[in-house]
Amino acid sequence: MSIREQFVATKKYNGIALALMTLGALAIAGLYVTQGSKADEHQQARFWAALLHNSVYFLLVVNAAMFFICATTLAWGGWQMAFRRVPEAISAVVPVIGTIAGVILLVICFGNNHELYHWTDPVKAKTDAAFIWKAGFLNKNFFAGWTVFTIVAWSVLGWKMRQLSRKLDEKPLESNEAAKKYVWNNTVWAAMFIIIFSLTVMSSIPWLWLMSIDAHWFSTMYSWYTFASSFVAGVALITLYVVYLKNNDYLEYTNEEHLHDLGKFMFAFSIFWTYLWFSQFMLIWYSNQPEETIYFIKRVGNTAKDSPYAGIFWLMFIINFLAPLLILMRRSSKRNYSTITFMALLILFGHWLDFYQMIFPGPSPDHVPMILYDFGVALFFVGLIMFVTGKALGRAPLLAKNHPFVKESLIHHT
Amino acid sequence: MALLRYESQVRPPLVEGDKDYHQVTEDICRPVEAKPSRLWWIGFLISAVLLAFGILSVTMEVMYGTGQWNLNRTIGWGWDITNFVWWVGIGHAGTLISAILLLFRQGWRTGVNRAAEAMTIFAVMCAGQFPIWHMGRVWNAFFVLPYPNTRGPLWVNFNSPLLWDVFAISTYFTVSLLFWYSGLLPDLATLRDRAKEKWAKAFYGVAAFGWTGSTKHWQRHEALSLVLAGLSTPLVLSVHTIVSFDFATSVVPGWHTTIFPPYFVAGAIFSGFAMVQTLLVVTRKVLGLEEYITIEHVDVMNKVIVLTGSIVGIAYLTELFMAWYSHVPYEWFAFKENRVNLASPYGWSYWIMMGCNVLSPQIFWFRKMRRNLVVTFFMSILVNIGMWFERFVIIVTSIYRDYLPSAWSTYYKPSIWEVGFYIGTFGLFFTCYFLFSKFFPVIAIAEIKHILKRSGHKYKDGMTEIEHESVEVFADHHGHDHGA
Repeated sequence: MSIREQFVATKKYNGIALALMTLGALAIAGLYVTQGSKADEHQQARFWAALLHNSVYFLLVVNAAMFFICATTLAWGGWQMAFRRVPEAISAVVPVIGTIAGVILLVICFGNNHELYHWTDPVKAKTDAAFIWKAGFLNKNFFAGWTVFTIVAWSVLGWKMRQLSRKLDEKPLESNEAAKKYVWNNTVWAAMFIIIFSLTVMSSIPWLWLMSIDAHWFSTMYSWYTFASSFVAGVALITLYVVYLKNNDYLEYTNEEHLHDLGKFMFAFSIFWTYLWFSQFMLIWYSNQPEETIYFIKRVGNTAKDSPYAGIFWLMFIINFLAPLLILMRRSSKRNYSTITFMALLILFGHWLDFYQMIFPGPSPDHVPMILYDFGVALFFVGLIMFVTGKALGRAPLLAKNHPFVKESLIHHT
Repeated sequence: MALLRYESQVRPPLVEGDKDYHQVTEDICRPVEAKPSRLWWIGFLISAVLLAFGILSVTMEVMYGTGQWNLNRTIGWGWDITNFVWWVGIGHAGTLISAILLLFRQGWRTGVNRAAEAMTIFAVMCAGQFPIWHMGRVWNAFFVLPYPNTRGPLWVNFNSPLLWDVFAISTYFTVSLLFWYSGLLPDLATLRDRAKEKWAKAFYGVAAFGWTGSTKHWQRHEALSLVLAGLSTPLVLSVHTIVSFDFATSVVPGWHTTIFPPYFVAGAIFSGFAMVQTLLVVTRKVLGLEEYITIEHVDVMNKVIVLTGSIVGIAYLTELFMAWYSHVPYEWFAFKENRVNLASPYGWSYWIMMGCNVLSPQIFWFRKMRRNLVVTFFMSILVNIGMWFERFVIIVTSIYRDYLPSAWSTYYKPSIWEVGFYIGTFGLFFTCYFLFSKFFPVIAIAEIKHILKRSGHKYKDGMTEIEHESVEVFADHHGHDHGA
């Protein structure tokens, strides 16, 4: 049996991607004209917040695909080999969105608008006691340097992992010894990625990019929470591509068993996200210290003050916890293409909302900005991910057929 | 098409030597059926003596009150709650191995799950002692159970994480026990069928619950395992999460921090795996089970140790960073002056914790170290020393200097009966473990057989031909077609 190894992006596929990007670009332009170009600082900040939200969210989501690869590599996983080229292709988007996000972050940091990052305000930086105290971490140079380093490191290590995978396509491994050496080599590079990942996504980067919007507030859980949110969305994106390729008669060796396991990942990490959400929320609620509760009062309100974000907050909680819990629990729903596609889309949207409520109550505490614009901006990034992933999928065979573990994946059953 | 039993030859075998099903039964039953060795007797008696000393220490405390311990007004929790958290943490590896690794279909769990589950149960038993005897008037211990009573307004406090502990740990203990015992049933039946002495036949006969090995039994057994695995998985997380709530719901600097729940769970798995290593490195040698608990198993568990140790490390650094970043002077004082400052009264304990838990496990990045038994054994002890100090640091360094400097105390030293109580739980733990290793198979016979033809040395050697097939040929021969 021969298989269709070469993905060719159809005209329709690329057309949709370009159309989405165009729509998105229009939304960005519209947002700039109506908000970003105005003299009012809050209006400007609303424009930049939309860009920050979408670029950072989608960057972390596509980077989660590389985390998936490296984690399964370190764990010597075999089951994912049948569709391993899919997360590889998604991770190829990291340098592209990374560049965009990097530019946006640096513009916000060094620009004249300080509504998003209050600590960048030169006056406040000298007068606010907390900012003076935190200046060792919250300063523009460190922000810029660490941001650039992070994005370059993710891109380079991701590129290296993809190279290692492609290397085998023309040159099969000769012997068992060569295979062991190859697996070992992969393990070393994957470990490097994981170390960088833990020093960035699981610690410093969410503090810098997101938590510093509420610069007086702090939570040790914040970065792990952000990681959980973006990882489960990343798995959802991988699942969507697997389903898409299956529906177009690619990935012959990927079957319901693999889909089932991806479903389990979406289920398990949705619960894990909820666990972190609950731990953070409950502990802050329980000990009830004003310097901590302020964060949630802005988002859900309290008896003294309503929050305009309460609806979004609880909606995203339902989408991200109750829906996966109830819908993905059954075995049959994880093996059903329609259900799994619906859930993947829902999860991607739910965590997009999660990031929304993490960012917007900072620059816009009194009202929820017109969210339709943000949907528009999201379309730009969705189109971009589609376009670049499509190109990357076409660049290499869809099966890493010479990998030592690929046969295990073919006979995988859950 | 029949499912092919195949795994890549790149993976080292999980059962070494030229084994068939019968040989597996023989090898694992041998220590149970043979007379206990002199080494076993020595170990057992030492454990029993330690246990006796523990009973004496507890008796002293019950007769004369908790004043027998050197706890004071500021340090209301000292060694006892440290020990409680330490033992609960150790009791996490077993259920992680049996439940979460079962869900992840990890073949290597079969070599170690039985002993790890037993260890879990014993560790939880030890842990439970501390809050019970810490109550002082222990005869009122049943007050923690909420049931209709005649005590009027005297009622449990549902708002308190300490009460949640009661529920979490008793649930965990029950489910772990069920899991362990239901896994034992087929093996107990094997022992029953092989038994020659009358008492052994009777004992294993009753214990095996009439297991016959029929297809129906196996079917129910498999279903039950999955259900229990599904139940235990959230329990692994919940128990130490709730233990962490004991601290994190408070407003004590160094205790109230949102990362506590996942970081406690990671630390618990870390120390649990270390204890599994301590026990299995010795067990495999003494009982001659090196072909079933292979160097590969040790290697994999050391990987878990370096992973969880590093997660804990990230959490330590996050806490330290956030104590500074928060700009809360009390929080920063607790970390800077009470912990990091080596010259402070308990500063040394912080650095022991850092050294043992974060720095030293990093040597397991090296394969040679992971596969070295002496290093593994030494490290497993070091990790558990570190994890004990983690709890000591959290408890003592946070409360010996609280908000009121006039109440500061620096003279906390455990009394002989506090230490004796702790030593006694070692006695309890090892007495149980020695009895377990004598009367029950320390490796799950049935589960080893389940992976034998896929991961056994002999069978893997026979897969060379498949290994050399191209992926297309392989797929034509062995691929299965569900939902393609």
